[in-house]
Amino acid sequence: MAKQIIFAFSLLITFAVFFYTVSRIISYFKLTKPGFPVRDPARRFSIMMKVAFGQTKIFRRPVTGFLHALVFWGFCVIIFGSIEMVIDGLSGTERALKFLGPVYDFLIASGDIFALLVAVAIIVFLARRLFFHIARFEGIEMKKRSHRDANISLTLILLLMISLIFMNTGYMGYKTAAGEEIAGIYPFGAILAGMLSGISAEGFRIMYEISWWAHILLIFFFANYLPYSKHFHVFMSVPNVFLSRLDPPGKLINMDSITREVKLMLDPGAAYDPVPAETPPERFGIKDAEDATWKNYFDSLSCTECGRCTSVCPANITGKKLSPRKIMMDLRARMKEKGPMMVKNGKDFSDSRSLLRDYITAEELWACTTCNACATECPININQPSIIVDMRRYLVLEEASAPGELKAVFNNIENNGAPWQYSAEDRLVWAKDIGFEIPVMSGMVAGGKKPEYLFWVGCAGAFDDRYKKVVRSFAKILNHLGVSFAVLGREETCTGDPARRAGNEMLYQMQALQVITTLKGYEVSRIITICPHCYNIFKNEYPDLDGKFEVINYLRLLRRFIDEGKLKIDISALNNISVTYHDPCYLGRANGIYDEPRFILNRLTGNLTEMERNRSFALCCGAGGAQMFKEAEKGDKEIFIERTEDALDTDASVIASACPFCMTMLTDGLKYKNRENDVKNMDIAELIAQSLGLY
Amino acid sequence: MKILVCISNVPDTTTKIKLAEGSRTIDTTGIQWVINPWDELSLTRALELKDDPSAGVKSVSVIHVGPASSDPTIRKALAIGADDALRVNTESSDAFFVAAQIAEIIKKEHYDLVFCGIESSDYNGSLVGGMVAEFLGMPSVSAVSSIRIENGQPVIVREIDGGKEVITLPVPFVAIVQKGIAKEPRIAAMRGIMMARTKAIRLFEPVHVEPLTEIVTLEKPAPRKACKFIDAENPAQLLELLQNEAKVI
Amino acid sequence: MSVLVYTENWDGKFKKLTFELVSYASEIAKMLNTGLTAVSIGKTGNSELAKAGKYGASKIISIDNEHLKVLDSQAYTNVISEIARAEKASVIVLSNNNTGRAIAPRLSVSLKAGVGSGVSKLPLNINPFTVYKRTYSGNAFAHVVIKSDIRILTLAQNSFELIETPDNSTIVKIDVPVDSALVKTTVKEVQKQTGRILLTDADIVVSGGRGMKSPDNWAPLVEFASLLGAATACSRPVSDEGWRPHEEHTGQTGKIIAPNLYIAVGISGSTQHLAGVSSSKFIVAINTDKDAPIFEAAQYGIVGDAMKVLPKLVDALKKAK
Repeated sequence: MAKQIIFAFSLLITFAVFFYTVSRIISYFKLTKPGFPVRDPARRFSIMMKVAFGQTKIFRRPVTGFLHALVFWGFCVIIFGSIEMVIDGLSGTERALKFLGPVYDFLIASGDIFALLVAVAIIVFLARRLFFHIARFEGIEMKKRSHRDANISLTLILLLMISLIFMNTGYMGYKTAAGEEIAGIYPFGAILAGMLSGISAEGFRIMYEISWWAHILLIFFFANYLPYSKHFHVFMSVPNVFLSRLDPPGKLINMDSITREVKLMLDPGAAYDPVPAETPPERFGIKDAEDATWKNYFDSLSCTECGRCTSVCPANITGKKLSPRKIMMDLRARMKEKGPMMVKNGKDFSDSRSLLRDYITAEELWACTTCNACATECPININQPSIIVDMRRYLVLEEASAPGELKAVFNNIENNGAPWQYSAEDRLVWAKDIGFEIPVMSGMVAGGKKPEYLFWVGCAGAFDDRYKKVVRSFAKILNHLGVSFAVLGREETCTGDPARRAGNEMLYQMQALQVITTLKGYEVSRIITICPHCYNIFKNEYPDLDGKFEVINYLRLLRRFIDEGKLKIDISALNNISVTYHDPCYLGRANGIYDEPRFILNRLTGNLTEMERNRSFALCCGAGGAQMFKEAEKGDKEIFIERTEDALDTDASVIASACPFCMTMLTDGLKYKNRENDVKNMDIAELIAQSLGLY
Repeated sequence: MKILVCISNVPDTTTKIKLAEGSRTIDTTGIQWVINPWDELSLTRALELKDDPSAGVKSVSVIHVGPASSDPTIRKALAIGADDALRVNTESSDAFFVAAQIAEIIKKEHYDLVFCGIESSDYNGSLVGGMVAEFLGMPSVSAVSSIRIENGQPVIVREIDGGKEVITLPVPFVAIVQKGIAKEPRIAAMRGIMMARTKAIRLFEPVHVEPLTEIVTLEKPAPRKACKFIDAENPAQLLELLQNEAKVI
Repeated sequence: MSVLVYTENWDGKFKKLTFELVSYASEIAKMLNTGLTAVSIGKTGNSELAKAGKYGASKIISIDNEHLKVLDSQAYTNVISEIARAEKASVIVLSNNNTGRAIAPRLSVSLKAGVGSGVSKLPLNINPFTVYKRTYSGNAFAHVVIKSDIRILTLAQNSFELIETPDNSTIVKIDVPVDSALVKTTVKEVQKQTGRILLTDADIVVSGGRGMKSPDNWAPLVEFASLLGAATACSRPVSDEGWRPHEEHTGQTGKIIAPNLYIAVGISGSTQHLAGVSSSKFIVAINTDKDAPIFEAAQYGIVGDAMKVLPKLVDALKKAK
């Protein structure tokens, strides 16, 4: 009876403290902005099963991934036993759930085995942290506090496992010695009890009792320690995965407040849900913790500081200040700092500090290439890039602050419709002397005809001297296959992608609405793109502005033609040249297109080698996120050189690419490494054209 | 201190210039109009001075002589940060005419500093700034590559052959500024854009002035010749061509 | 009636551009059947002043006043106005350089004289007085009629040749009273450039790219530049690698320049690089790759190895000197 009272009391205190912590956290959540509506529970459930329970993402690092999976699955199983302990503690029973029979036996046995496995895994983890230097655990954001937190958490888990092991051993030993009925199966407990045969029945019983109390009290303590620790992910990770964004990673969320403004600018008469004049315009972008969405904050609480994101960040790898982990930790820390003050003094409270600049510097933000490696790597689907872009949005839209080169790019897009200073009049220069007439939309429609596809050339296709050859190659292929297509020619203007990635949502939407109007005017339904950035923006982002088209990436189109037999590729045409393929971030990670290029390359040559970092592990070329147009932030190395080295390590004579930015970077990389004479960077379209004798 | 920045409305610099029927003017179809690049830098510098509390600049106004079709460009100037905008409502004529209009306004409104870009990308005249100063009997400085305000006194750097001079002038005066006056362009913040959309542009009627010059014809330059290749074995030929044909050495 | 030409001097010396200006003004005077007067402000010796006579000036007025030591646009305008009125000048010619552009517009208002600025040819017509000038940054040329009785022309640099004439000039020294109170410009400091020619100011620029292969290969390029009196520049990869100083980087993210002559050696001509130099009056390219995009932008090109071509150019220049 006394035990029950003490137990109930401990449980009560635990709940009280936990309730206090949770209510404070909820009060901070109330300060954040609304995010996306949580829909599609079936799909979310399936993702949760795969990523959270299946631990699929943590297996991206196979060895430590496996050890972590053991710990996680162990927790899942052991929690059953913990629930039973609470029931036992409150009602004074012993092993109250044993009536579940074989199911009970199975769960308890699994728990027993896992206790050992988890303990071993934890010992490995602790040893790594204490005795080895793991690069991923270092960084400017990793202060003593983080290491201490990690070691404490790991130690607590170890103690939890040890107490469980001795609990089970004690139980087995005691029950066996006393000849009493054993509820449940304890494979390891039995072995250990057998090894400790010198202990009396009473000894075992005391072992059991002490371990039981130690275990449950540790759980109570641990449960309340977690919300203040990086290990809060024990509670938060599974829900965080359930709340993953379902959009393709390449998609940025539309700023509806800007759409309102843009439509008013373009047509003051247009009624776009007019906001009443008294409402103060909300802040654009993220400057401080309260500007983040509830999901950003949820992400920051779930972040366990594992650093996998930072370890694959191309900026961080090459010595820039950006660390996606730091972004998450800073948000959490800033909310911890400002949240209580805002709860007490109101949302308008200012302590003259901010997430921007006092925690996260502009330099970090401008180093990002939006490659999505961090989000792809995160085992619990945290969305770091959205915070980075939202903070860029604040800088650009509220402060008109951006690196000088990007301001020039914004002006260029606004004034002449391309990131560089070129006249729209020159958008068909690539088509000169190509040997056949390139159909232009305006001419075609004037003649009463409509093409099946609009071939969107893009600004790089029109103005980048090297990439013009790729456009010509692809146009020749389309012509060779008799595909019905047309280009917009001089009516093309920038999709707005560089502006959007750089945070200039206003300029992006102005461009987008212009493009959508033009496309709708011609009743375009199918668009072929060769540039992954154009592909991504048309497919994933234009629909938010009511620009809904069927968007086809050229590799998918070519693959279809190969499958249909329309496009015949003679594998001997390229003499089995050794090729390696660089996955563009906006094709691969952002949109999941990995197979088609490889399929095509395997048709072109029997000699395709993968780089070490390929597919979703591919290293960014360094040009995304508007980096192409500006000086790189200070670092140790250029990203494009790092990636070129990846490619050169394969000893391939051709680096195949599928993106104008990647092509610029890789070509520069080859020049930099003085290999441009023996290694060539070619687009897949060029290789096909070559094999068809059209190049 | 009140600064007035003169702005000109010109075709975007990547525009392929085509001549209109009759060749007296250019064909304006499809042209994207922008603030003259030199004026944009000039406005940027004025706004930088305003942002600096130690410079003591109270306001930055912009003035344009032209018809209502220039308003979008004027609004861009407001969006970037100008406090108010003035437009003399008239079709533009030659530099003398434009300068006379601006001078009239300055007589009424009074400014401490008048910034003018050294040339405009359409007429490449390099005239308005100096003319405004002479109309007003004010001093002027040209080829200004830098201007700062120290203890309420503007300090100017102007380019001279083979160097620079750091000079001072008493206000009010006209600063005719060139590239280098501001390092990077400004972009408009959202609030600026939102405000500029609704802010009123002050209109003024022109005074009667006879222009002194008139463009009677425009012609396109001879098409850019293809690259002339010189034999690598005899590169001296290049020097001859550069000296006698191109006349650049 | 006469034609007046403002002959600027630098520390008492005239430059080639002064004589180009005088030649030009002299031809106009011939067209108008009148004489040419040159006006000089500053401490210029007679022997120097007399040089203007060799290019067509019949009268050379020299004004040396303490208060006019430094260019004050207002003061100089007043002086030249007075002279123009005294000489009954119907055409006044200045250079389109910084000084000319500072004075011409003020002179225009002072004399109610229309201006043809940046002209590059002799007037196309006398009646009506029509001049030919560059507009739209070189994308179009205009025939401009100057309607006023007095006309001011500023001549674009480097656009007229020297024409020597028989010399029968007289030098006249005039003392023009200048109210010091009206000279408002105070010079605090003069920074003269010594040594290396500033890239953004240079008329000729010689630039090197990755095609130079190694920083050790720059010597012939530097020598070539120095013989031409040119500034040196480089492309982005070269400056990134530290082969050349950062200040030499020309291109979209570096310096944007528009010299009279830009010589690109071992530069392929990427979009970003050309964005920095495409406004150059003339572009010359030396590159081993005949398909390099730079040749599309260049007026003159040599397809060859810079390491072989540069020394030959250096030799040719040395011989010419």
